[in-house]
Amino acid sequence: MSRRASAAGSQSSLREANRQLVAETVKRYGGLTQVELAEATGLSQATVSTIVRELLAAGVVDTVATTRSGRRAQMVTLARRVGLAAGIQIGHRNLRVALGDFSHEILAEQTLPLPVEHRVDTTLDRVALLVVDLLERVGASLDDVVGMGVGVPAPVDSGTGMISVEGVMPGWDDVHLGQVLSKRLGIPVYVDNDANLGAFAEATEGAAREHADSLFLRASYGVGAGIVLGGQVLRGFAGTAGEIGHLTVRPDGDPCRCGRRGCLDTVVGASALIEAVGQVPGVASLRDIVQRANQGDERCGDVLAEAGAAIGSALAGLVLAVNPQVVVVGGELAETGETLVAPLRAALERHVPTNRIAPLEVVRASLGTRAEMVGALALAVQSTDVPLSVDEVVDVAGLG
Amino acid sequence: MNAAPVPLLSMRGISKNFGAVEALAGVDLDVFAHEVVALVGDNGAGKSTLAKIVAGALTPDAGLIELEGEPTTIPTPAAARSLGVATVFQDLALADNLDVTSNLFLGREVRKGGLRDDGYMEATARRVLDALNSRIPSARTPLSTLSAGQRQSVAIARTLIGDPRLVVLDEPTAALSVAQTAEVLTHIERLRELGLGVILISHNMTDVRAVSDRIVVLRHGRNNGTFDAATTSHEEVLAAITGATVRRRPQVHALR
Repeated sequence: MSRRASAAGSQSSLREANRQLVAETVKRYGGLTQVELAEATGLSQATVSTIVRELLAAGVVDTVATTRSGRRAQMVTLARRVGLAAGIQIGHRNLRVALGDFSHEILAEQTLPLPVEHRVDTTLDRVALLVVDLLERVGASLDDVVGMGVGVPAPVDSGTGMISVEGVMPGWDDVHLGQVLSKRLGIPVYVDNDANLGAFAEATEGAAREHADSLFLRASYGVGAGIVLGGQVLRGFAGTAGEIGHLTVRPDGDPCRCGRRGCLDTVVGASALIEAVGQVPGVASLRDIVQRANQGDERCGDVLAEAGAAIGSALAGLVLAVNPQVVVVGGELAETGETLVAPLRAALERHVPTNRIAPLEVVRASLGTRAEMVGALALAVQSTDVPLSVDEVVDVAGLG
Repeated sequence: MNAAPVPLLSMRGISKNFGAVEALAGVDLDVFAHEVVALVGDNGAGKSTLAKIVAGALTPDAGLIELEGEPTTIPTPAAARSLGVATVFQDLALADNLDVTSNLFLGREVRKGGLRDDGYMEATARRVLDALNSRIPSARTPLSTLSAGQRQSVAIARTLIGDPRLVVLDEPTAALSVAQTAEVLTHIERLRELGLGVILISHNMTDVRAVSDRIVVLRHGRNNGTFDAATTSHEEVLAAITGATVRRRPQVHALR
């Protein structure tokens, strides 16, 4: 445990650095007592106590009375303005849950690995339990939660919160996801496609925040795209806009889970990539391929580069249709950086005429694999009316 | 890369009797590096007995054990440790009155010039906890203040002291909340990414299928099928556990 080195500092810059260290530590652990804070930061109890008092006065942290080994203690958490929101990303092989506040500050998050073809009932049960566990970690309860956003790797009809294409997630078709979770937890639940959520997150606080029109390409176990035009997510009438994973790229190709043949997912989806890499010891999953490629394995790198090119060709049509300023590449495969992105960019340049006014940018998601979860959180916040405090109401009226 | 890699651990025809109780009868098990193998079965199927043999706590009555192709015996837990096999049993065997660092180095404290090298041990403890992305605030936290999930984290972190090749986890998610289970399963994924072989014993089929590469089913002390976790359904594994299907023994024993 090393105390942050403060180079050539005045006393005030040291204090500032310590304040920041305490705030960052609280953020990392969700909630912890002052004694634990002192241990985790390496600062003295007295210093931590002073800093916590200052941060409390400044409205940065909250303290809640709790007990540790039978003794009374003060649990320190980040301050929550207005209320909390939950953001959930249900993936093919993992589940991410985050709690955040209205400033989009994430207070606690947790990832849970999931089995292949996980069951809708077990997974939704685990979502509910994880949310409650995380609330406990930050010293809050369900009463503090104003809403929950949920992202799933399938097109979603936002009106009903149901998956709008049959077979994409076997067993999930007939379940009203939003209603099940909303009933269980007693809070409003908003369900959306994960690529749409990633697009929303990257457009509001990620790599596309400078642009009004962007595309988010999610390269994961399957492929999907989210479209943002004029700052608004374009979902289509029942949520299938941007589902390029089911664009036919090989008319006589392998059968796809959507019931047709030769979809992009059958060429660049997880099982296609694992098959393309072949029998290599220790490579059994998408994560392995990404890890190996990042360690410089040529075979895995080549497979990902080919996937990048195939995705780029398929994406060209969508780029022509909506003319975005930027394509943001996210999902697990984007963790390999230019290995995937460079051939994808090259394919787009080959297939899309260069726009002289605003040449297309192709960049990696700046929120990484958390983009969808952050988007789910943002969806919940956006869907909730924020009760303004009294003086803010006056201010707004005065400015009116 | 080798076309046919040598398993990290290879067990053939392992048998163990306790009086009239036939705990294991000719069991085979292979574990490769960078692989999580789940060992599943009903109560009394022999999972824990097999784990104890790997850990050196029990010696088999018959059978062959190879580590990276070398025939070997694991007569004691200390021998297992020196062979690079680390085990976390269900009771975790942690000392409540000591802090995290002392627990990680329990029984193998590092000395420098005859004195305990606390600085080195604490730095190593921190490094190991970070390698697992653990959520334990300090290596100096007393064990008594940790939750059940954090204790499991400490027990798993302890296996990483001394750079093991194989880690055996006996029911690591039993009696944990979902958030704590999530933490432990993430640790297991990390162990695999670090290139270790992992034997995971668990009753929870969801947890098993979430993190393992292969699922080895034991039934009444015998192999009852080996399944690829990515392509096998929940039902197929359950059928093998309960004996709803009769499966051919996967391999002929090396010793019989």
